[in-house]
Amino acid sequence: MSDFHVRSENVDVEQIMRQIRARIRDKRGVDYTEDEIRELANVKLEKFLDPKGIRSDLLQQYRRAREADTAPRNYAFEDTTLYASSRPLLRTIRRLLNPLLKLFFNPNPLIEALHIQSGLNESYNRSEALYYELVHNLVLETTRLGVEVKTLKMRLESISSRIDFDERRARALEGVVQYRPGAAAPLQPPTGQGNDLDNDGNERRNRRRRRRGRRRPVGSEHGAPTLDHASSGTEDLQSDFRGERRTEAPVTPKPQSGESGPVPPKPQSDASGPVPPKPQSDASGPVPPKPQSGASGPVPPKPQSGASGPVPPKPQSGASGPVPPKPQSGEGG
Amino acid sequence: MKLAVVVQRYGADINGGAELHARYIAQRLARRVSVDVLTTCARDYVTWKNDLPAGEQQVNGVRVLRFPVDRERHPHEFGRRSVRVFERTHSIQDELDWLDSEGPTSTALVRHAARHAAAYDYFLLFSYRYYHAFHVARRVASKAVLVPTAERDAAIGVSIFAPVFRGVRGLMYNSPEEHAMIRAVSQNDSVPGVVVGVGSDVPDRADGARFRRKFNVRRPFAIYIGRIDENKGCGELFSHFQRYSAAFPRGLDLVLVGHPIIEVPKHPRIRHLGFLDDADKFDALAAADLLIMPSYYESLSMVALEAWGLGRPVLANGRCDVLKGQCIRSNAGLYYESYEEFVEGLYSLESNGPLNARLGRNGREFFNRHYAWPVIERKYLDMFERLSRAEPPDAMAPLPSWLARRTRDVPPAADVLARVPSGPALTPRAADACGRSA
Repeated sequence: MSDFHVRSENVDVEQIMRQIRARIRDKRGVDYTEDEIRELANVKLEKFLDPKGIRSDLLQQYRRAREADTAPRNYAFEDTTLYASSRPLLRTIRRLLNPLLKLFFNPNPLIEALHIQSGLNESYNRSEALYYELVHNLVLETTRLGVEVKTLKMRLESISSRIDFDERRARALEGVVQYRPGAAAPLQPPTGQGNDLDNDGNERRNRRRRRRGRRRPVGSEHGAPTLDHASSGTEDLQSDFRGERRTEAPVTPKPQSGESGPVPPKPQSDASGPVPPKPQSDASGPVPPKPQSGASGPVPPKPQSGASGPVPPKPQSGASGPVPPKPQSGEGG
Repeated sequence: MKLAVVVQRYGADINGGAELHARYIAQRLARRVSVDVLTTCARDYVTWKNDLPAGEQQVNGVRVLRFPVDRERHPHEFGRRSVRVFERTHSIQDELDWLDSEGPTSTALVRHAARHAAAYDYFLLFSYRYYHAFHVARRVASKAVLVPTAERDAAIGVSIFAPVFRGVRGLMYNSPEEHAMIRAVSQNDSVPGVVVGVGSDVPDRADGARFRRKFNVRRPFAIYIGRIDENKGCGELFSHFQRYSAAFPRGLDLVLVGHPIIEVPKHPRIRHLGFLDDADKFDALAAADLLIMPSYYESLSMVALEAWGLGRPVLANGRCDVLKGQCIRSNAGLYYESYEEFVEGLYSLESNGPLNARLGRNGREFFNRHYAWPVIERKYLDMFERLSRAEPPDAMAPLPSWLARRTRDVPPAADVLARVPSGPALTPRAADACGRSA
């Protein structure tokens, strides 16, 4: 909530109310008055009662029950009803004889009771319609929910079968690697984006290197120290995972990398010459893909910043639950 | 000058709106003129049971004459007759029967007023819709000054009242909205009338800190004072406040003062203190950030005037024309017609909010200008003086003949009310709360 623009001592309540209503309209997004909202609600209820929009035979059953019930729905009973007649003369005579009648018994409690009963009947008729409407709405909602539950079940089954398939494929690939320890190069399972990273992050590093090579072709132009050696592959990997900006050795692991131009500088290097990247420093040959933690299951794609999973949006004030709307300036207190 | 104040109930401990209004006026005018109060023995406004002894009595220095009620009100019968008169085409006789069933049916009071009409200069009749006011006005029309205390409900459309509004000597209205409504249903432009209202003995200084100590109220709060009743809009107030308190944990609390008719919700931020005496009530108002008036129907909100007298702003139900009109005319209160407006209003009127001090100041000024006792007294005395100089009006139109009274051709009162223009009276003439008519 924002403050009002009250510029002088002479405040105008009507103007303030206009500001309040404008702000409420802005919040709502649509300028519906209370009456309009009630009207919309009524329309919705009427729609529920529209026989064309009903998907069950509840309405027919209800109508059949009402038609079968031949009893009158209600009657009107006033204090004049007992003496009423279509003939004015008879009515007058009855009224004249009323005092005489009262000598025999008191009709007032009877009149009152029947009048109350009439009111009760009316109330019952009204509530019966409401109950019908309520039950009907519940049926509709239950149907809708049932359909939704079925859809969700199917989606769940589909997802679990895909997970199962992926798991089996990953195990099969691991099995292939175990039986062929001397194979030339680890094959990347063709499973899409998640496999851009191999187990040690080599492929990703190469790509990054290529990009950097394109972006920063001449490191020495900016006065950076000239690179004459490269760090070990382990250092590269660690540095990669720390997300540090570093210069790299002019590696050409693949012909298409095209890094024939100037060599970007590498400040922390202390090695004696350019060394091809090594994912693991002690590996003696082509290394098969290896899970990082020695798990035998499928390796999940590794996030770029070392986080263990997708980062959820962070609440601004560290609250763990939904934060209720708050006025923009102090709410009392 | 000798004045008779005629009211349905009267007593130092009777605090209904019109009754309190009558007592204040009687006590104030008794300082200037001779005042007798003619009233019934009833204390309960639902049954009109004869709880008090008939005869003469002194209440706060004012002579009070009590007359017995002939029969108690039968709620079922009254309800049935109300439905007929308000919602169906009916006869004049139906309306008269409805009035009898509403009560307080005190023929002794009416008879006394008629017999002793010569002893009084004027009869000040409170609440047009009751038996005593209707029949006394008809008996002593040339001396009757009516304080209608009319609300916007279907009773104003009952056709037997229109001749009364046209036939009395003068009318003391509570608000321009009431004036406009009565003029619309009765075309009584020729009858002298003035918008007066009522004053209140608001203390110069009330001690909010004392209230907080006494009732252990620590947090800032909004206050409601009055009967805690669905008809007063309290159900909607509770609903709105519970939503508000869930959304704004550091917002205002709600303190309720008055007798509960409906159940007060058990809520940590709603405090119900019951009925308080005047000192505590004024201290509570002084301690509150604002007063909430959720009522749909008011002819004049005395407690709103008291809040303004103490410099507190008011958040009123905007569906009540009178309250809305008062807020606009005074520039001392906001009004709501939805939950969103209720929340925005509460926020704006908090004591550290942007409007509290300004509206409070306006309220105090409005109260002092229009509702201070010297102003009210002067208006009454001026009206009596004006009437004494004016020509006596034509006699009040008699009731129709026996047969005509029984002809069912009178439209439902609710339909008549529906045709009456609604909304706050904000024309330049009406905006002047002191404005005279006719």
